[in-house]
Amino acid sequence: MSEAVVMKNVSKQFKVLNRHEGLKGSIQDLFSRDYKIVQAVNDVSLTVMKGEIIGYLGPNGAGKSTTIKMMTGVLEPTEGEILVNGLVPYKDRTANSENIGVVFGQRSQLWWNLPLIESFKLLRDIYLVEEKDYQDMLELYRSLVDIEPILHKPVRQMSLGQRTLSDILAAFLHNPGIVFLDEPTIGLDVSMKARIRELILGLNEVKKTTVILTTHDMGDVDALCRRIVIIDEGKKIYDNDIDHLKNYFGSYRTLRMRLSDDSWVEKVIDESKTDVMHVIAETQKTSRIKDIRLEEISTEEVIRKIYEGGQGA
Amino acid sequence: MTSVRKMTALTRAGITESLQFRLGTAVTLFANLIYLALVYYLWKAIYASSGTDVVNGMTFYDTMIYLILATAIFNFLEMFIVWDMSRAIQSGEIIMHLLKPMRYRKYIFWSYSGSLVMSFVQTFIPTFLVVAIITRGAIPMGWNLLSFAVSLLLALVVNYNIEMLVAPICLYTESTWGINIVKETIVLLLSGATIPLAFFPEGLRRVVDYLPFRAVYDIPLRVLLKKGGTDTWQGLLPALGLQLVWCIVLSILGNLFWNRAVKRITVNGG
Repeated sequence: MSEAVVMKNVSKQFKVLNRHEGLKGSIQDLFSRDYKIVQAVNDVSLTVMKGEIIGYLGPNGAGKSTTIKMMTGVLEPTEGEILVNGLVPYKDRTANSENIGVVFGQRSQLWWNLPLIESFKLLRDIYLVEEKDYQDMLELYRSLVDIEPILHKPVRQMSLGQRTLSDILAAFLHNPGIVFLDEPTIGLDVSMKARIRELILGLNEVKKTTVILTTHDMGDVDALCRRIVIIDEGKKIYDNDIDHLKNYFGSYRTLRMRLSDDSWVEKVIDESKTDVMHVIAETQKTSRIKDIRLEEISTEEVIRKIYEGGQGA
Repeated sequence: MTSVRKMTALTRAGITESLQFRLGTAVTLFANLIYLALVYYLWKAIYASSGTDVVNGMTFYDTMIYLILATAIFNFLEMFIVWDMSRAIQSGEIIMHLLKPMRYRKYIFWSYSGSLVMSFVQTFIPTFLVVAIITRGAIPMGWNLLSFAVSLLLALVVNYNIEMLVAPICLYTESTWGINIVKETIVLLLSGATIPLAFFPEGLRRVVDYLPFRAVYDIPLRVLLKKGGTDTWQGLLPALGLQLVWCIVLSILGNLFWNRAVKRITVNGG
């Protein structure tokens, strides 16, 4: 396997004008040279192998989108090197874009007023896809999702779910080496999320496309990613298998107990520090326990712990 | 010839997209009628108060034909690039345009080409035919039509380049409305689209001669109406040559400016 993306010590700083309050402040701002530097991404190194699906996670404002934009070439890193499919994205943006596909959450690359099939034909032509490859791809799409109902529908008449689905299909159409999915399941219902996950998984399997996924939905992560990279405040704080994640920050389990008044009490227990039996014994001193459940901690809870714990965790 | 495929695909999509808004054409034609009625009465009053039939070498009739055709060209060439680009920048949509496998300026031009074809067919040709029929012979019908077509194409490229030179300014100012109005006013006034250049005072006219704006309206109209010696090669070639020079100069300037301006997105995130 070779590398799809290599990032070496990449940092990105933004210069932001310090805004002042009120009318007087706004007038001051017109002449102000009072900039502050915002460190969006701080010394991140990352290697993604071809064919991998990685979950790129982090709380809001952690620098995820900035990283993705640097990989696509629309942002220039302040420091460090990036290679995507062997190209430097911001220097060779046009060439780079031939071999990547992008879905940015609530943005669409489709032609709003045209039926989906017209957008597909247009993308086929501007990415110079051979007719045979194009037909094969459509055939693959048909085998993975039911595209007939949306194929002849103008994009502006689509539901959010249909549009996201269409955008994902559009991103894969020219069979790019890497597809960036920035919060693709945002705002979608449960069944649409499931269909989109199946689709991504299917395309990754058949076409061996590298997928870099950012999301806040741990369901996406559980369904799609074997490897997770987490950044917070611009710094990489975790980069490993999803299986490692669960005991990386201690082996957490959730203990649920039903007390004598029929209420459920929930305790997250770090088994490296406390014993489950000990907690039960403690609880029993004050109340009778009618029922007990012991659950593995969900990815969501681990991630929440990491976000809340910050870099120190 | 691979890039031809990209271009024609964009043109085709633009045409298909324009066809979705048939009502828009009707509204444009209606708005034109109102505007032209205004122009008619305004200039009628101007000619009536001047006391002579010929003002600055143009009869009322000449002026009307000139202005109606200028309006037709205006409708044909109107591109809204400044507007669209600023909206794309504010909404962040521009990222999707930057990620197309084509150079941005080229991509934008060809994205508009389809709607240009449609507005040519839907508004320019009908207006042209109506004027030609009503005025019976005021528009010469000879090989000037061919040179007019060439001149109009050059005008289109000049106009596109002016738009592309102004539009990136909104990356610096974050507001567009004013810039767009200023651009629109300057282009329409100094190109001879609202007042024929023949009516300009001598000094201003000499200045205008050195500006690119007359390459958009004044030159194509002169070529069409065989004015200003454009009915001979000696008159025609310098006129077309001037347009071509402006195409090249503005395109180079636009490229330089865009490459600088786009850094505001790529370096500072827009």
